Amino acid sequence: MWEREGGRVLLCLGAGGVGKTTTACALAIQAAHAGRDVEVLTVDPAPRLLDALGLSHDDGEPQTVKLGAGAGRLRALKLDPKATFDAVIRRHAPSVAVAEGILSNRLYRDLSTALTWVGDFMAMEKLLELYSESATGLIVIDTPPAEEALSFLSAPRRLLDLLNSRATTLLGSGLDRGLRLSDLAARGVLSAFDRLSHLHLLTDVQSFVKNFAGMYQGFAQRAARVAELLRSEQAAVLVVTSATTVRIQETVDFLEALRAADIRVNGVLVNRLTPPLGKPPRLARELAPALRRKLLKNWRDFAALKRREERALAGLRALIPADTELLCAPEIGHQVRSLADLAELAKAIAPLHPSS
Amino acid sequence: MVWPRLILILGKGGCGKTTAACALALHLARGHSTLLAGLDHRRSAARLFELDGKDTVALSQGRLTLAELEAHRELERFIERLVPLAAVSRRLIASRTFGYVAAALPGLESFVLLNRMASLAWEAACEDRYVVIDGLSTGSTLELLAVAPGMRRLANRGTLNRLALDLEGFLADPARFGAAVVIEPQELALKEGLAAVKQLQSLGVQSISVILNGVPAPLFTPADLRAARPLGGPSARLMRRRMQIDSAVRRARRRLRAAVPNLIELPLLFSPGFGQAELLELSRALSVTS
Repeated sequence: MWEREGGRVLLCLGAGGVGKTTTACALAIQAAHAGRDVEVLTVDPAPRLLDALGLSHDDGEPQTVKLGAGAGRLRALKLDPKATFDAVIRRHAPSVAVAEGILSNRLYRDLSTALTWVGDFMAMEKLLELYSESATGLIVIDTPPAEEALSFLSAPRRLLDLLNSRATTLLGSGLDRGLRLSDLAARGVLSAFDRLSHLHLLTDVQSFVKNFAGMYQGFAQRAARVAELLRSEQAAVLVVTSATTVRIQETVDFLEALRAADIRVNGVLVNRLTPPLGKPPRLARELAPALRRKLLKNWRDFAALKRREERALAGLRALIPADTELLCAPEIGHQVRSLADLAELAKAIAPLHPSS
Repeated sequence: MVWPRLILILGKGGCGKTTAACALALHLARGHSTLLAGLDHRRSAARLFELDGKDTVALSQGRLTLAELEAHRELERFIERLVPLAAVSRRLIASRTFGYVAAALPGLESFVLLNRMASLAWEAACEDRYVVIDGLSTGSTLELLAVAPGMRRLANRGTLNRLALDLEGFLADPARFGAAVVIEPQELALKEGLAAVKQLQSLGVQSISVILNGVPAPLFTPADLRAARPLGGPSARLMRRRMQIDSAVRRARRRLRAAVPNLIELPLLFSPGFGQAELLELSRALSVTS
């Protein structure tokens, strides 16, 4: 698959509960077995998966995963959005004083821990960091469960909007150049709201925006680089989905939104596909009739579920772009417990044929 | 059971939140006019009902309406109420600065959404209706519910402080607010679901139910398993699979019964399609168990 062709980034997207993290780890192990140096960045992995990757005693540092001879180096990292955000601030702040000013700001503290989009944003910051650390390695990146297809791209935008230089002008104290009468009126209304609501936030907002002003360019540039990287040949995008009716419909919307944003999706992986059932079983005559009936009913029950899955997939097949590969991974029937399970899962990924 | 006026459905991604929300809403709609509101812009429920842009589900009995709650629109409505002068509130909403502050103030949108839910519950109580809210994962829901005490600390007096106190009262009132955690019969989901129940309790929520989704009708007995022992091939594999699900259900049932007073089971339907007919069947199962 594409990770062997020298691409640098494999981005896994999808809704929650579709097995995105597991897939990302499985593909990372596969690429490492094929000889590449791989970094896999996971978000909120299940405890068993952490065990399998040796990340249970996580200290925020990448953990080297032991693979057999001939494999490339595999390092796994669990994303800690708050710690990453803090580190980004420390690295890019013009001075220690500015960094401390931001880190201790009430608004920043709420912002960095309370919001789900910070996870997306920090995954992107971490991606750039890993990307610049090595010139050849593959970075497999798992994203937080997405409620919108493009939240990983829009997350940096949200902070940038907040820190927009225009806002700085508006919120800064005194009469700045370029401030229109309407802006002054807005500022007046806003401070009235602040008093009325007893939030007393404006001072915090002002100091936050002021401290951030010098870093705005850097954030904007990095956000632009991520957007560019994800649209380049260096990156592959894999959308992971499960085979249920609702998830498949969401995936179709997801693909549309990605196309509208000019992001090429290399593959759609349908996870946990029910294995084909084949023909109705021929049961031995020695079996009691009641048991035979039950066994046949059981077969019909599962066959009905399989048909439901196939109907949902037919909708996906009809709408998938021609240059997007449609893949599937079978239901393995148990939770992933070890590296071997992950490697096996990756091996089982195959093109989705109409009959499967 | 007696349902609160507003029930918030939560659960891990892919556990069947929307299915459970639709089934519960259909069940309630049989006796009372019911609103099923989504929070995630995905109109997942409307899709399951195959509504094609309409917002009312045609039922032989009762009335079920679908809607989406949007945080930003709710924020505008909220400001209009908070700032009584229409001209001032309009200007405030239109100013870009306000957009920045709203974006920077974590929880303001959540706070407003929660406020909206409280007023929906109040209206529902007045008009003897029900509201079911679908759409957020466990994490986002807990984030949403925790916003009231957070806001109360942030605004230590004044209107917002009073509203925050009201909201905490709303969450703790089993006649107005309830949370229903959807869980699949699976080990990890069970563990996370039980943790969510604990967190809901710590947030003061009084009415907590668990909906165990995907319970297959019993088929095989242990004697069947013994009799079928020599059997190989796909039928044996499928039999084992069915019995694995059965034993996972039994385990989940045992643990959940010890932890929550309201346990509701939704059957696993072995149907080749999944739409309004199946949702109706699930809602009938709800009428039997609850």
